Amino acid sequence: MAKKRYGLNVNGQRREVEAEPDEPLLWVLRDFLGLTGTKFGCGEGECGTCSVLIDGDEYPSCQVAVEDVAAGEQIVTIEGLGRPGDLSPVQKAFMDYTAFGCGYCTPGMIIAATALLRSNPRPTREQIIAAMDHHLCRCATYPNVLVAIESLAGPNDAEDG
Amino acid sequence: MSPTRREVLAGMGGATLAYAFQVGCTRTETIDYANFPAPERKEKPDGRPNKPGVDHRDWLLISSDGTVSAFTARTEMGQGLTTVMYNLLSQALELPDERIRVVLGDTELCPEDGPTTGSAATHYVAWSFWRACHEIKKDLVLLAAEATGLPSEDLEYIAGEIVSRSDGDRRIPMGELANGQVRRMNLDADDSSVPPPTYVDKGTLSVHAEAVVTGTLQYTGDMSIEGCLYGGLLIPPYHRDMTRLLTKRLGRAKKVPDIVDVQRKSWTIVAFGETYTSVQKALAAANTEWEVPDRPVELDNEREIRSGAVLRQVMEQKGDVEARLRASDIIHTESYITQYGSQFPMQTDTAIAKVEPDRTTVWVGTQSPFLVRYNTARSIFQPESKVRVIGLPMGGGFGAKAAHMVGAEAAKLSEMSGTPVKYVYSRKEEVQHRNRYKESVVIDISTGVTPDGRLLARKTDIFQDEGHGTEELYDIPDVLTLRYETRMPFKHGTMRGTSYVQTVFAVESHTDMVAEAIGMDPLAFRKRNVVLRAFRPLIDSCAEMMRYGVDELPEDHGVGFGIINHGGRQLGVVGAEVSVDRATGEIKVVRLCGSFDIGVVINRNTARMGIRGSMIWGLGYALFEEVQLDGHRCHTTGFSSYRIPRFSDTPPIELAFLDNQHPGAPRGCGEMPLPATLAAICNAVYKAIGVRFHTIPMTPERVLAALREG
Repeated sequence: MAKKRYGLNVNGQRREVEAEPDEPLLWVLRDFLGLTGTKFGCGEGECGTCSVLIDGDEYPSCQVAVEDVAAGEQIVTIEGLGRPGDLSPVQKAFMDYTAFGCGYCTPGMIIAATALLRSNPRPTREQIIAAMDHHLCRCATYPNVLVAIESLAGPNDAEDG
Repeated sequence: MSPTRREVLAGMGGATLAYAFQVGCTRTETIDYANFPAPERKEKPDGRPNKPGVDHRDWLLISSDGTVSAFTARTEMGQGLTTVMYNLLSQALELPDERIRVVLGDTELCPEDGPTTGSAATHYVAWSFWRACHEIKKDLVLLAAEATGLPSEDLEYIAGEIVSRSDGDRRIPMGELANGQVRRMNLDADDSSVPPPTYVDKGTLSVHAEAVVTGTLQYTGDMSIEGCLYGGLLIPPYHRDMTRLLTKRLGRAKKVPDIVDVQRKSWTIVAFGETYTSVQKALAAANTEWEVPDRPVELDNEREIRSGAVLRQVMEQKGDVEARLRASDIIHTESYITQYGSQFPMQTDTAIAKVEPDRTTVWVGTQSPFLVRYNTARSIFQPESKVRVIGLPMGGGFGAKAAHMVGAEAAKLSEMSGTPVKYVYSRKEEVQHRNRYKESVVIDISTGVTPDGRLLARKTDIFQDEGHGTEELYDIPDVLTLRYETRMPFKHGTMRGTSYVQTVFAVESHTDMVAEAIGMDPLAFRKRNVVLRAFRPLIDSCAEMMRYGVDELPEDHGVGFGIINHGGRQLGVVGAEVSVDRATGEIKVVRLCGSFDIGVVINRNTARMGIRGSMIWGLGYALFEEVQLDGHRCHTTGFSSYRIPRFSDTPPIELAFLDNQHPGAPRGCGEMPLPATLAAICNAVYKAIGVRFHTIPMTPERVLAALREG
């Protein structure tokens, strides 16, 4: 396959890349645009580590070809949500509740939680679990992540064991 | 000649005052600390370096600007070591985090104080820094007395300054005492006079928090280095050691855009490209043929393990087991087997290497920087003194990044390409080809017991290549534990809870069966026989949290317990309630409770995180985790074929911390809850459906088969 030029809308900015049409968005972000906040976990769309927002919905960027997001779709990565000193509410909650261990899956988790809370600002615990269940965390920080998201969904009665 | 540590550190805040210290050192020091040379090991007669050892000399540096830097080769793998180090140093020296630097895992700067394994970093490293700080404060007072002429009794250390008690205006910042001196101290092994640290406030955050949530924490793969190429190796379709490359056609592979080179190198094909995708595509496009392994495809782990086994070690021997077993009223005999497991950290193993004529640098997320240095030096035939390994944060390790080769391989690739090389394992490559699996282990266990529940004798045969066994749980007069080495063809290594998780599964499952054989409650039986009294309050606390014997359980629900003794310094009791769906064979863990004795908890957030995570791992071992191997291939490719615990698998978890055994010292916690949780779940399943699983994981298929057999 030959390379082509694509114009992408990433975090509100237009970015030009020259890539093969099937180049995964994950590696366009990491290798072409230097946006390394989006992490590589499995390459098969099974772990949620590389999630990004595309027009507000969450997608595993390793399963999205660059040619499918080159028509002006709004791509938002973890870098687009907030930066040190200027955190989004979800980022702040993950920080306040230490909702991470090694932190590698965290950008994907934050993207998913952001998408969930935009579509459903007051999810129940069951709805949070259903929405987050495809996100894997090998440090198994799930209890903290749940509490962090619930803190944004209104009062929570989560245990603090 | 590599620079001395002093040269490397020259830029770190002007003049420095360095402290080198070692806990419990009795021999005379002969090392020239004055120049802090990077530790050099003697080479073998044939020029090969010796394997990394442990020198246990930690050190700490006070710079003239008043910042304090602590150095250790232990690394951050998400367990919170960095945070604990900051918490302890800040508390001991009464300094804000901004005046503290923690340098981890850099072979040029850090002492060779051991790999980050066995949940030991908090216990050994952080604790020795805590103790050293208390000695250092006393030493600073002496230095200040010398400098000012004031009597040392009049001086005290307060928050980075030495202050006169009689004249509060007379104070000297400790940075001003930095005069290029190196002070060394041997810390008394008896730490009873050291004031214990206190709990850090619940809200204390991980020092990495903001970087993590903004995606700006730099893991190895996130670094970019001028002129760096991606490198990759083609993995064979069979187990690596059972096959060889027969033919290759690389025309198509070389035509992949952004590919710089594809060639045969030693046993496989290597590719270099500008992007990760280009390397993966080139390797996929390589047309190769591999020799079919000369052995049967079929593989029965248990038969294979038993057939090749050779007695390797008498792990424990007390009294006359055979005689005592014969004399016992009741003898209970069982066999247990665990399956192969894989660590599956979220980040696959990744390294960047830059090989230059005089100097090689490897950046890698590793649990063992000095082992990477050793392996790298060997792979590119350079002396270790010319190799610098810089450990970076890891996206999880869990043992996968302890005895790993990615750093050495990246260096080899860099040497071939003449450029820096980034090597990122694909998920399939990691599990099928690079992995050192958690071993499949067979355990035969026979126990003699009196009708009123006193343990008399136990004989255990463990078929396991990694031989650490387990710490004693029960007081048994006559014991014989033998370990047999197997001839299983797979590489095995460390994985969270290594290598005693299998033994605890067997022993604690067996404990419940023995209790049942004599009609005794399993907790009462444990309380009667535990070797350490400190277990008893833990058992009571856990039973109370579980409302054991109080709540009526629904049908097909069960409650079970498991206990664990990790190195004599961490004790735990875990309770589990499960429900079993008889139609689907699915086991659901309804809730978990754990009571732990782990010494002072320095950071409640990270400790709870580590413990809950470890308990959830126990759930994974019990129910899901199994690598699919046959005699030719690994069939597991990634998360789609290796289930790890998810949000929906995670039950409510309740924790209690008791500190009865050695009040004071922090003792770590990351691995210990896991085996106890695994055993508790197995025992709960037995209570729920009356089926004892002698094989884990308890997958729906195994559960349905067991229920059919009745």
